[in-house]
Amino acid sequence: MDLLKATRITFLCPSLAIIMIASSAAASTNSPTIRLFPTTVVEDLRQTSSVAREMETGLQEVIGKLDQQQELYHESKCDGAEDDPGCQRLAKQIGATYLDMLGIMEERLPDMEHTVNNTRLSLEKRLRSELGNKMTAWTLQETLLGGNPPKDSASPAPSMRGRSGMRLSERFSQYYKLVASSSSHSDQSLAVLASDIYLDMEETSTLIARTREEIARATLIEELNQSFGTITPEMMEIVGGVKSILFGDEPSRLQIAGPPPGSIEQAYRSPLEN
Amino acid sequence: MKSLSLLMILTTLSLASCATSPPPCDGPQTQNLNAAVDHVKDSLSSGCAAHFDRYYDDLLRTAEGDPKPGNKRLFSEFLVWSADEGLLSQRQAKEYYNRYFNVKFMTLQSDYNNCSHTCPRRDRIMLDMQRELSDKERGLLKVSLDNDGYYRADELYQEIELVLEATCTACSAGQ
Repeated sequence: MDLLKATRITFLCPSLAIIMIASSAAASTNSPTIRLFPTTVVEDLRQTSSVAREMETGLQEVIGKLDQQQELYHESKCDGAEDDPGCQRLAKQIGATYLDMLGIMEERLPDMEHTVNNTRLSLEKRLRSELGNKMTAWTLQETLLGGNPPKDSASPAPSMRGRSGMRLSERFSQYYKLVASSSSHSDQSLAVLASDIYLDMEETSTLIARTREEIARATLIEELNQSFGTITPEMMEIVGGVKSILFGDEPSRLQIAGPPPGSIEQAYRSPLEN
Repeated sequence: MKSLSLLMILTTLSLASCATSPPPCDGPQTQNLNAAVDHVKDSLSSGCAAHFDRYYDDLLRTAEGDPKPGNKRLFSEFLVWSADEGLLSQRQAKEYYNRYFNVKFMTLQSDYNNCSHTCPRRDRIMLDMQRELSDKERGLLKVSLDNDGYYRADELYQEIELVLEATCTACSAGQ
């Protein structure tokens, strides 16, 4: 797997659920309380958001510089004129900035990895205990339904994991806000939220580790390239990937299809219903 | 005389065969659900109880031709009657009803915790839930026009898939 892929996947992991869940679910007062978000998890999320923001800030400056250098390279018509001494000098400068970018990532990623792992492990323990060992599949279903099936269309929207394109720090910041105000959410949305964050952390954690390995490889290759003053396609791709992290697209909301038209009478409740 | 005896024997045999032939157990021919239910009740009471599944399917198909919220009640009453008549146990009647007309998944009935029981057979459970969801589509959406109910069941399926994936990952990490 190349560094670009690892980078993209790592930072564009799914989080649509946050937005959807944020707009859903009033507190359910009569269902049993499940403790999925102790204060340690909340603090871990806050810290992860902060570390992510630091990394983004550091990278933003280098990316801006890379953009300018690339523009100059193209304006100087260096594509296809790699042997030209001036173009070689420009290519080396771009390569050096690229190495700076890798250096920043290498420096910040261990912190990210650490905080992401902390969150993951805390949630893992809670999920195992609260949903895995204290619940049957049936009670889990009842928790997700919040005791009673909804009687109107204002029911909670489904939670979907998907690539949001959202900035990493923004994503963690939203997680933090949601979890920090978790007392206003019902158990059913908390279970979904905790699962979503946990799976996201799991994926992110694996990909950060892979990215770190790839950075070492990419750094070595670029150091060799510095001797020749060339710009590799991989380098350009990685820069593009990192830019998408920093200026990620607005998340698009996945919507469930609306119900087909038809008048619905008062819901019938059978004596056979569970 | 000989031919008379033969005729008597044939008549006797023919009458005997009428007396022992099984009921036809044919499905309802009408498109009216009330009439179809009456027909099915008659058949079930006349020795066709073994064909219950087929009759239930016939009734669902008839109801799909004239979907309305009130159909839910007809099915419930039919199943309560079936249980009262001893054709189904109470548990079976509930199964038949809830599988098609309730948001909750009967597939998830279990007495043991998720880590030890649900997770080891998660794939099969999800597959069974998928089948149940298509029965709910039929019962809630196509028969009863309960769109909200069906979409909630669909959401619930997705939520359970997500939560079980996370929970089972956490369970296996703790082993």
